[in-house]
Amino acid sequence: MKNIIIGTICIMLVGITVATYFFEKHPELTTPGRSQPIEEQDTQEFEPPQPSPFLPIYEDNSIGYSLQNDQLQITFNKGDDWSIVPIEKEKLFAGEYNGNAQELIENSYILTQNRAAFLYSEGNSIKLKYSLNQGETWEDSVVTAQYPTIRFRKVNFLNESFGYVIISGDRTMSQEWTTVYITNDGGKQWRETNHSNVTRLIYDGGFVDENTGFLSFGILNPIEPDLYVTQDGGNSWSKANVMIPEKYHEIFVMSEVPFKEENHLAVYINQGPNGDYEGGKVKGKFTSNDNGKTWEFSMEVLPNESE
Amino acid sequence: MNLNKKKIVGWLFFLIAIGLFCIQMGYFFLQSRYGMEYSDNRIFYVINIIIFVSMFFSIFLLLTVTNKWKMIIGSILVILVLLLVGLLINHSSKINHIVSISPDLKHVFVIKENTETGQSTYYRTYYGIFARPKENLPYKTNGEFKVKWLEKDIAALTYKAADNKIHQYIGTYGDRNGGSSYSYVGPSIQGKWEVGNMRIISASEGITIDNNGEIERYDWGNIVQFGTIAVVLMKNNEAQWTIGLNENFKSNSNEPIPPLVKLPYIKQPWIIISQ
Repeated sequence: MKNIIIGTICIMLVGITVATYFFEKHPELTTPGRSQPIEEQDTQEFEPPQPSPFLPIYEDNSIGYSLQNDQLQITFNKGDDWSIVPIEKEKLFAGEYNGNAQELIENSYILTQNRAAFLYSEGNSIKLKYSLNQGETWEDSVVTAQYPTIRFRKVNFLNESFGYVIISGDRTMSQEWTTVYITNDGGKQWRETNHSNVTRLIYDGGFVDENTGFLSFGILNPIEPDLYVTQDGGNSWSKANVMIPEKYHEIFVMSEVPFKEENHLAVYINQGPNGDYEGGKVKGKFTSNDNGKTWEFSMEVLPNESE
Repeated sequence: MNLNKKKIVGWLFFLIAIGLFCIQMGYFFLQSRYGMEYSDNRIFYVINIIIFVSMFFSIFLLLTVTNKWKMIIGSILVILVLLLVGLLINHSSKINHIVSISPDLKHVFVIKENTETGQSTYYRTYYGIFARPKENLPYKTNGEFKVKWLEKDIAALTYKAADNKIHQYIGTYGDRNGGSSYSYVGPSIQGKWEVGNMRIISASEGITIDNNGEIERYDWGNIVQFGTIAVVLMKNNEAQWTIGLNENFKSNSNEPIPPLVKLPYIKQPWIIISQ
């Protein structure tokens, strides 16, 4: 009996020693991803999507953004460092937008040394994500909690505290709803201004100071500029009187956003999408001495002069 | 301990040693024949240690051993056990095991991660102790794993891939509706489901989640099915929601207008559809 026990134990000792040696020497049999057969699955190798090199779009020499890999990232040092903007890409292009989504929608963002801000749509609300420290931290503010499908969108700040958002939505054919929101605390809180009651499609808009703002309507075959002005921070809007010389009737038809020049206001009025006067690119410069209520023709300008 | 008892215990240890030895040999047979492994590779070392300890106890209890031999055998036992513990620790550093047992103790969810390459493999288990590799996880992993059993037969693994994105892998161990009628989760949950301020709408174009007014749409290209009872909704290549079917789930997709069904609870980002 003694011999049987000792014999069995010896066999087991040898067996386990050999087994352990084999187990250690052939890690491929027990290591995931080595040469094991995979049950019920083709053994194709999955690779995580490799990030492609950034193709940045620069706002100026050093500030730029990239939408590569469906992720918005910004740089403030010519692309040496990138910080991720925590917004899903499609939220930046939500609503009526038919572009290729390779570049951000013009005017829907601000990218300067002191402020990075992106207008986006989440659910039914329109929000602004902004950073005042070059992307280190991000704030979110709700411009409006409820808004129909958005079309036009624009955000801008005139100084550290005053900014405006112009959005339009709920378009039916050539009619839509345009709303202007302003902030006086750097974008934390937004206040809806009174409505201009114009339902034509908006072309552009903007403020030249905290009280004086403009909305320019008409993008489908316009025959004359349709410019509205407020001089009380959006409480009331009235149609501006743009005095177009007879010679330029139905030529200068779409008003751009007015701007301050010396001691008066000035605006370029372009020929719209179908203009063919002098090649179609020439614009009319108009000036106003009553803060935007009436506009007089000043001169024709070539496109590069107006930029 | 009287002599008889000593013998019985000695034989018991001897039998344990032989039984475990047979399991180890059986393991090598299953390994070479069917590619089976232990659910946790470290079981191999633990069984060896138990065999050694049992063998040496059986020697002490069944045979008359002089003190000198007791010392020698005892020392050999200590050396062998230490050696095996060392090998076990070494093995653990190379392979990260994620093993989780279902609440009803019927299923074992097993993932093994090769820590060198970041390749992780999901294993289908047999009798709890053995497992076969079933599927490689699609993304390289970095060792961060979390397992949660959504149902008795649905285990959700949340892991961070090497690209720093959150992914989910769902292990499923059952079926619904008797296992015969439905293989696709999306169509089988066609209709509207409501829980609190949240609505889940499954329609022909995909699944929509209306979370308190925030609407997210997922088309079928972004819905990944696991087994026949769970889907993961993806956005930007990242898992957002997991929808699993409760064990009492009955599909009402054959009804012309599926009714709105209220769900008892939800624990984001996991939704359990029940009826």
